[in-house]
Amino acid sequence: METLTTRGRALRLGATALGLALLLAGTVWGSDDHFPFGPFRMYATSNPPNEPAPDTRVEGVDSDGALVDLDQNATGIRRAEIEGQQSWYVAEPERLREVADAYADRHPDAPALAEVRIVIRWHGITDGRPTGTYHDETVVQWQAGTP
Amino acid sequence: MTRWLTEPVPRGRVAAFRTLVYLFVAADLVFFTPWIRTRVSVPGSLYEPLFVGRILPLPTPTPALVSMVFWLLLGVSLLAASGRLPRLLGWSVFLLYFEWMIIAMSYGKVDHDRFALLVALAVLPTAGRARHGDATRTEAGGWALRVTQIAVICTYFLAAWAKLRFGGLDWLTGSVLARAIIRRGTELADLIAAVPYLLIVAQIGIVAFELLSPVVLVLRERWRLAMVGFFYSFHAVTMATITISFAPHLVAMAAFLPLERVRPVHRLRRLVGADRRGPGTDDGASAPVAEQSLAVAGDDRGTAPSVRPG
Repeated sequence: METLTTRGRALRLGATALGLALLLAGTVWGSDDHFPFGPFRMYATSNPPNEPAPDTRVEGVDSDGALVDLDQNATGIRRAEIEGQQSWYVAEPERLREVADAYADRHPDAPALAEVRIVIRWHGITDGRPTGTYHDETVVQWQAGTP
Repeated sequence: MTRWLTEPVPRGRVAAFRTLVYLFVAADLVFFTPWIRTRVSVPGSLYEPLFVGRILPLPTPTPALVSMVFWLLLGVSLLAASGRLPRLLGWSVFLLYFEWMIIAMSYGKVDHDRFALLVALAVLPTAGRARHGDATRTEAGGWALRVTQIAVICTYFLAAWAKLRFGGLDWLTGSVLARAIIRRGTELADLIAAVPYLLIVAQIGIVAFELLSPVVLVLRERWRLAMVGFFYSFHAVTMATITISFAPHLVAMAAFLPLERVRPVHRLRRLVGADRRGPGTDDGASAPVAEQSLAVAGDDRGTAPSVRPG
């Protein structure tokens, strides 16, 4: 059997304790910013049993007037990233130009986008179950040609 | 406690886990999280570095940097999967993958499915050389697998803690699963959602399982494997309903399994060998016996080449 030296054992014990301490601190006080020691907050937010659920999407209208779905495949930007920075887009709608640019980079032959908007589809929920009804809300839009 | 933390395991298990983890890193780059590569075309101004990216002098990702890390990591992880130069290649994979993750998570969304994989990558280099099939027990390897197991369980247990911290007790009776189903549910999920209160029962069940998960660390092998099987089945259901794969976590969880018994390359070689010996060989019946005698004869040492994934 391959055994550890006293020093090797002590080092490993110390590293384990340090890692656990960092992870515990991250869970108690930290945020996502402290990756990889931040809290494991996947689906940790609580939503009341009758609160509508948002389903966010980014869409554009090209110069031909066609509706373009600007999802992760189209722009390389993930939906959760759009949601994470949503307030920032709302404060500065011209930031949506970057989404249009990302789309243009990946689709050099496609017609340019004349408009980009973030739309939230609010799905109804009752007693913790989807009701099947929804309504759309455009939270921010940007039009090419505006600053 | 220290004895438990460094409980020796066969070197073959470390070798198999190492191959699995490094092959996954390569597969992760190409198949599981291909969107990270698309960072090439995401404007640099959307980059909001994480805490670790702010204290370390890391550059804002450019197309050249993202490509360089991608190809370097792909090459090094495949080499590392062979088990050669476990320290040099292992640390290289860890550092490159960590930078890859910082690039991935610095655009407004942080994933929580890979803490245990990062731990595995950080500790595997310390396990030293390990050959596939080697039954010699190693304490260094035992520690590497143990802390990976602890990281897996922390992911569950501390996730329950985070739910109480951010969602409070209302999380249990809220509509979080209904939301997840609306956003990314499958048809199977729609069927489940149609049953009154089933989603709320599932929410309570999830927190109960997360809080109880540390029990797996003190169970005897048979029950431990059964419980790990339950963990895997939980993720199978999650995948089938709300299409969340948690793949990196699932790979790290293999640290609980007696992986030294799974040897596809070895098996394949013996099958090919048996075929060459002629049609009279009944593989199905003779294989286990042959395997035993080979193991006794120490077939795996000596002339066997070290590149033996699996």
